[in-house]
Amino acid sequence: MNKTERRLIVALLIVGSIVTTMFQCKQKDPISGIPDEVDFNFHVRPILVQNCFLCHGPDPSSRKANLRLDTYEGATALLESGYQAINPGHANRSEVIQRVTNTDPELKMPPPESNLKLSEKDIKILKKWIDQGAEWKKHWAFIPPQKEIQDKFEKRDVSQTIDGFISAKLKERRLEKANQASKETLIRRVSYILTGLPPTIKMIDRFMADTSEAAYENMVDHYLQSSGFGERWARHWMDIVRYAETKGHEFDFEISGAWRYRDYLIRAFNDDVPYDQFLKEHIAGDMIDSIRWNKITGINESQIGTAFYTFGEGKHSPVDIKEEEATTIDNILDVTSKAFQGLTVSCAKCHDHKFDPIPTADYYALYGVIESTRFSPMAANFTKEKEENLKTLEKLKKRLKEMSIGDISFKNSSKENDDTTHEYSFLGDFRGSSLDQWKSDGVAFGQTTRMNTPVFSKSGKTIKYFDSGKASSSQYSKGIFGALRSPNFVIDSDFIGVKALGIKSTIRIIVDNFQLIQNPIYGELDKKVSSSKWQEISFNVSAWKGHKAYIEIVPGYFSGSPNHTYKLPKDAYIDVQYAIAFDGDWPQKVDFRTAEIQNDYLNNKQLNTLLRNGKLKNSIPESSHLLSQNEQLAKSLVDSSFFVGVNDGFGVNSPVFIRGSYKEPSEENIPRGFLSAITTHHSFKSPGSGRHELANTMLEDSNPLTSRVMINRIWHHLFGRGIVETVDNFGLQGKLPSHPDLLDYLALKFKEENWSIKKMIKAIVMTETFQRSVEGSEDAQSKDPENLLLSHFPLRRLESEAIRDGLLAAAGNLNQKMFGPPVPVHLTEFMQGRGRPGNSGPLDGEGRRSIYQGVRRNFLQPMMLTFDRPIPFSTFGKRNVTNVPAQSLILMNDPFIIHQAEIMAKDVIDQTKQSRDKKLEYIYLKALSRKPSEEEITKANEFLKQLAQTHGVESSAIDTDLNIWKDFCHSVFNLKEFIYLI
Amino acid sequence: MGKRKHNIHRPMSRREMLGVCKGGFGSLAFMSLFGTQMACNRIDKSESLLTQLGQTPHYIPKAKNVIFLYMDGGVSQVDSFDPKPRLAKENGEDPNKKFNVDNTQFGNVGKILKSPWAFKQYGECGMPVSELFPHIASCVDDIALVRSMVSNFPEHTNANYFLHTGSGIQGRPSMGSWINYGLGSENNNLPGFVVLDGGLTPPGGVDNFKSGFLPASYQASILKSGPVPLANINPQESAPYLQDQKLDYIKQLDNSLIGGLGSADAVESAISNYELAYKMQSSIPELTEFSSETKATKKLYGMDSDDPHTRSYGSQCLLARRLIERGVRFVELTCPRVNADRWDQHNNLKDGHERNAHAVDQPIAGLIKDLKSRGLLEETLIVWTGEFGRTPFAQGKDGRDHNPSAFSMWMAGAGIKGGTIYGRTDDYGYRVVENETTVHDMHATMLHLLGINHERLRFRFGGRDIRLTDVHGHIIHDILS
Repeated sequence: MNKTERRLIVALLIVGSIVTTMFQCKQKDPISGIPDEVDFNFHVRPILVQNCFLCHGPDPSSRKANLRLDTYEGATALLESGYQAINPGHANRSEVIQRVTNTDPELKMPPPESNLKLSEKDIKILKKWIDQGAEWKKHWAFIPPQKEIQDKFEKRDVSQTIDGFISAKLKERRLEKANQASKETLIRRVSYILTGLPPTIKMIDRFMADTSEAAYENMVDHYLQSSGFGERWARHWMDIVRYAETKGHEFDFEISGAWRYRDYLIRAFNDDVPYDQFLKEHIAGDMIDSIRWNKITGINESQIGTAFYTFGEGKHSPVDIKEEEATTIDNILDVTSKAFQGLTVSCAKCHDHKFDPIPTADYYALYGVIESTRFSPMAANFTKEKEENLKTLEKLKKRLKEMSIGDISFKNSSKENDDTTHEYSFLGDFRGSSLDQWKSDGVAFGQTTRMNTPVFSKSGKTIKYFDSGKASSSQYSKGIFGALRSPNFVIDSDFIGVKALGIKSTIRIIVDNFQLIQNPIYGELDKKVSSSKWQEISFNVSAWKGHKAYIEIVPGYFSGSPNHTYKLPKDAYIDVQYAIAFDGDWPQKVDFRTAEIQNDYLNNKQLNTLLRNGKLKNSIPESSHLLSQNEQLAKSLVDSSFFVGVNDGFGVNSPVFIRGSYKEPSEENIPRGFLSAITTHHSFKSPGSGRHELANTMLEDSNPLTSRVMINRIWHHLFGRGIVETVDNFGLQGKLPSHPDLLDYLALKFKEENWSIKKMIKAIVMTETFQRSVEGSEDAQSKDPENLLLSHFPLRRLESEAIRDGLLAAAGNLNQKMFGPPVPVHLTEFMQGRGRPGNSGPLDGEGRRSIYQGVRRNFLQPMMLTFDRPIPFSTFGKRNVTNVPAQSLILMNDPFIIHQAEIMAKDVIDQTKQSRDKKLEYIYLKALSRKPSEEEITKANEFLKQLAQTHGVESSAIDTDLNIWKDFCHSVFNLKEFIYLI
Repeated sequence: MGKRKHNIHRPMSRREMLGVCKGGFGSLAFMSLFGTQMACNRIDKSESLLTQLGQTPHYIPKAKNVIFLYMDGGVSQVDSFDPKPRLAKENGEDPNKKFNVDNTQFGNVGKILKSPWAFKQYGECGMPVSELFPHIASCVDDIALVRSMVSNFPEHTNANYFLHTGSGIQGRPSMGSWINYGLGSENNNLPGFVVLDGGLTPPGGVDNFKSGFLPASYQASILKSGPVPLANINPQESAPYLQDQKLDYIKQLDNSLIGGLGSADAVESAISNYELAYKMQSSIPELTEFSSETKATKKLYGMDSDDPHTRSYGSQCLLARRLIERGVRFVELTCPRVNADRWDQHNNLKDGHERNAHAVDQPIAGLIKDLKSRGLLEETLIVWTGEFGRTPFAQGKDGRDHNPSAFSMWMAGAGIKGGTIYGRTDDYGYRVVENETTVHDMHATMLHLLGINHERLRFRFGGRDIRLTDVHGHIIHDILS
C-alpha cells in the first residue's frame, strides 16, 4: 500500500466513522470476556458495522478504496498494495489489524478525530477470529432457525424449555433467580398483560382461594379466553400498522370504515386466527383462496385485513401527484416490511441499504407490487351467504338466457376490422359481450356485459327484448356494490370521454393512484352520473398528460371534502357503453372497437328482430317464478356499509428511481418481487400485483424472519422487551438477540403449533421466568443492570390504554361494550386546527375501553400521547416510556381522572355498607388488586381524618362523605403502584 | 454517591436524596428531572453538573440562556439578508444557462426570480436588510449575520432534525436537551428546555424537541400562549392545601413501595416528576400573567398590532424573556400559523413571506430591544434561522424551492460581535463561496458561548461517545466579540 493509498483509506475511514456515528447503533452481547470460539455474527460483525461498513459495506455508491468488508471475498481480496485486509488464519498479516493497532495518527484506524476507538477487547476478538480462520456468516437474522435446536427439545414441555434457556444464561453469569412473585402480584400481572385490565375482585378471590396446582394455569386460561384479550392485543398490533381513522395533513380527512379493521383485529386475536392466515389477510386478503368467513355474522373477514394499507397520511391536493404516490407507497413498504419482516426496506429507496443486503432494486420490486394495487371501497358485510346467492344468481341468469335464446345460430361472422384511423382511441368498449379486459371488482358488474340478457315484462311472463351490450352495475339489482376499472394507460389526449347513464353514480379518473379527488386541483377527475338517458361525459385531463391513470366506474359516489366517504344509495346504478380518449370535440361517430364487438352488436339486433317477428318464443316456462327468485337473491346483495381496502390492479413494474427521485427513472423496469436476500425465487409471475405471491414468500418455510419477528413481538409484549430489543429491525442495525437459541426455538415452535399466538403466549406465561418477582438481587443490578437475562421480572409502567382502562375499571365505570364506530374524541381547548370535529366527544369516552376511542391524526388524545402511545406515522412495535411532568399533571388535575375518582367514591359509599376498613380493602382490591397492609390501613385512616378536618366534616360522617372519598380515591389513582406493574 | 458516581446524568437517586433531605411535599429539595442542580446543601458548587461531567467550563461563559427563533419552512436568503442585484438584472432568464442547477425537491424549476423586496442599509454597520424586516433592521448593530450557512438536507423533516439535533435522522437529542444536560437549569420550578408553541408544529413533529437517548427529563416542555399555557396546570382541589395533603400521603406510600422493590429508578423518577409538576402549577401560570408588564413593553413587542399573528408572536417573545429571566436555559419559539404556509413558499412568495415576516418582525426587534434595555442581552444568546434557504430561481412562476446550499442565519446578544457580516454566497445567492458554515458550526458556537467545549459535551450511548456536533463543528470565531 503506497502512502497516498494509505492516506486515502485514512480519510475514508474518517468519513466512515462520521457517518457511522450518525447511524450509531448499540450492539453488545451480554457475555463479557473473549469467547473461546469467536462468532462472526455475535462478536465480529458488530465491530465492523460500527466502524467500517459505511465506506466498506454493501452500498457501492459510498464504497471507498474499492474495499468491502461485508463479504468474505471483498475482505480477503488482494489489495493493490499486495496486502489483504483480512488474511484468514493470519491476524498479523492482515492489514486491518495493522491499522487498528497502529499508533501513527496518520495511519491509525479508526482515525483519532473520529472519536471512535476499538477497545482492547475488540482488537483481541478481531485477531482471534482471523486466526481461527475468519469464518464469514450471513447476518444472523437471515440464517433460518436450525431444526437441531428444536429436535434437541422436541419431547420437552415448551415452558420448561424456555426456562432452561433462561437459566443457562443466568448460570453462566452466576446470577440468582428472583423468587416467585406473590399470588396477588401474579394475577394483576397476568390480567393486565393479557387483557389490559386489572383483575376483578371476584377473580382475585377465586384465584386466592384456589390452592390447587392448576390454580395459576386456570387463571391464565381464564384471561386468554376473555374478550379483553383481543382488545389488548389488537391495540399492540395497531401500533405496528400506524392505525388511524383520519389522514392528517391539512384537513384530517376520514379513512372511512377504519374501525372495522380494529374490530377485525379484536376478533382475530380472540379467535386465535393462525398468524400465517392473519399475515395473508393483511397482504392479500382480497384475493386469497382461504377466505375466513365469520362464524357468527358470516362476513368475509379476510378482506378487512387489507385495510392496513390505507392507514397512511393523505394530502389534500398535493401539487406533485406522482410524488404523493411515491410517498404513499414508501410508507406502505416501510410499514409492511417492518411489520412482517422486521426490516427497514425503506432505507433502500435512494441507494442500496447501507447496512442490510437490500439493494435498491429490491425496493422497486416491491414498489411495483403496491403500485399495481388499487385502493377501493369494500362491502363490509359481504357474507358467505351472499357469495352463495351470487353463484345461484349467475346460474339463474344463465339458465334464463339459454332458455330464451335456445341454440340459435347467428349469421354475422367475424370480419377484419377496417383500418380507418380515428381521431379518438378506445379505452374500453362494452357494446359487445365482454368487459374488454377491464376489471370488475366487487359483484355489481358481473363478468360480462348485459349483451343478449332477456328483459321481461313486468309480469315476468313475456320477454320484451334482449338487452344490448353495456357494462352495468345493475346486472342483478340496483344498490349493489362493485367497481369497473380500466387497465392502466398513459394520458396522451386532452379529454377522456365515457358514454354512460345512471343514477347517483360516479366516474373517476384515478391519476397516479390518487384518491382524495377534489378541488382546487383535481375536481375535474370526478364526475357524477345522474340521468337515465345516455350521456357523453368528458373529462379534461390535459393537465395530466404523460401521467399513468385508470378509469373507475362505480354506482354511488364519494362525498368529497371533508369526508371522502363512499356512499351507495339503494337506487344507484350505472351503465356504460364505452370510454375513449380524444382531443377537441367529442367524435361525430364512435365505431366499434373490434369486428367481434360489431358482430355481437349485430347478433343482438338479429335476435331482437327474431323476437319481434315471432320467430323466437317470447315466453319460457316458470319465468316469473325464476325472476322472483332472482329478485329475492339480488336484494340480499344490496350493500350500504363500506371500508377502504384494496383490490388488485394490473401488474406494473417500476423503474428504479435514481436517488429516490421518480423524475430520474432507470431505463430498465424491475420485475415485481420480494427481497433477494431472503428468497431465491424472488420475481413474481402473476399478472396482477403479486401480493398473493408476496404473502406466500413471507410464509415460505425457508423465510428466516416471519416467525422470529412475530414471536419476538409476543415476547416483547409479555416481558416489556423483546429477545431482540429492536422489535421492528432485525437488520444489521438492529440489536442482537439476548437469547438467540431461545428465539430460534420459539420461532420453530410457533410454526409447529400452527402459528397459534395464544398457545405461544400461554407457554411463555406459564414459565417460571414470567412468574418471578420484580425484585432483583444487588448482584443482578450490578452484573446485569438492564436485566437482559431476566433474573427477575422487569418492572414496567402500564401503557396509556391500560392506565385509562384500569381507572375506569377501578371506578366501576367501565362500559364493556365491544366493537362499533369510534367514540368521538373529547376535544380540549388545546386541540385546535383545521379538520376539528364539530362536536366534542364525552369526557369519559362513554366509559368504553381506550381502543374504541377515536383516533384522529390531527386530534390525538392528549392522555394517550402523554403516556406514550405512538403518533401513527410508521410502525412502532416498541413504545417509548417517558417520564414527563405532563403525566403527573394529568393524574393530579385532569377532569377525567377527578370524575372517575368521584364515581368510585360513590361506589365505595354505596356498595360497602360495612366498616371503614372494609371500604379501604375494597378500594385497594379494585385499584391495586390486593388487600392493604395493617400499616396502610392505619395511614389511610389518619389521612381520612385529615381530609375530614380539611373539608370540615365530623369524623363520624367520614364514611358517607363524597368529597372525602373522592379525594381518597383520587390519591390512590396517583400512587405509583397504580400505574406500575410490579 | 458511591457507585453511582459514573452515572453522570443521574448523580443521585431519589432514595439517596431522601436519606439526606427530609421535609414535606414541595419543600423537599430534590434533583430536578430537568437536570437542575441540586439545591440540597449537601452539594456545593464545586460539584456542579459540569464538574461532574469533567467539563469545567473551558471558557468563561458569555451566555446563560439561549432564545432560538426558529423560522419554520426556510426563509429566502435573497429576499431577506443577502441582497443579489444580479437577480434583478437577469430576472426571467433560464437559470440552467447561468449555473448548474441542482435537483430541487419539487423539480419544477422556473426562471431566475428577482426579489420582490428592496434592500436598504441600516445602522452604523450598514448591513443591508430587505423591506420584509424593517424592525429587525433597526437592530442590525447588535446582530452578527452569517450568510454562508449550508444544510445537508433539502427536505423539511430531515433538515429540521438536522438543525435541532445535529443529525438528519429522527430520535437524536435536541440542542436544548444537550444544553440542559450540560448545564442544568437555574430554576427548580420550571423545565430547563421550553418550546413556546406559536401554532405551527414543524415537519418532523415534536421529535425535534425530544431528548433522544438522553434521559427523558431533558426533553422540551411545550407551552402554549393563552390563559392555560399548559394542559392540566391548574389544581382542581377546592382548597390549596388539600392538594398538598393528598400529595404528602401519596409520597409516603410511594416511598414505602420503593422500599419493597429492588431496582426502581423508573418509579423514583416518576416520583420526582410529581414534585416538579407540583411546582409548575404555580410557576407556569405566573409566567403568562402579563399584568406586571407595562403598556410600553407590550407595545414594543407588537402586542397592540392589528395583525393577530404579530400580537400572538409578540406575546411569545415576551414570554421568552420572562422564561430566561427565571433561569430557563433554552427557549425555542415556533412560528405562528399565519394565513399562508410556514416560510415554505413554493408559490406565492410575496404574499407568504410578507405575512410571515409581518408576524415576527416587530416582536423579534422588540425582544432584542427589551433584553438590551434590561441588561439581559449581555447574557442571552438569540439565534434566528430556518432549516435551509430557498432557490434564487422560481419554482413554477412565483415560488422558491428548498435550497440547502445557502441560507442566512443570525445571532445577537451574549458574546456576539454586532454589525458583523460573515460568509458570502455567489452572485445569485445560490451557493456558498466563502466561509461555508454548517449547522454543526452553529451548534459549536452556541455551546462555546455557554461555556461548553462542544467536543467535550458527550454522552456515552451504544458504546460510543456521542456529541451534538457529531465529529464536526468549528466555532465561528469571526462573529464573536
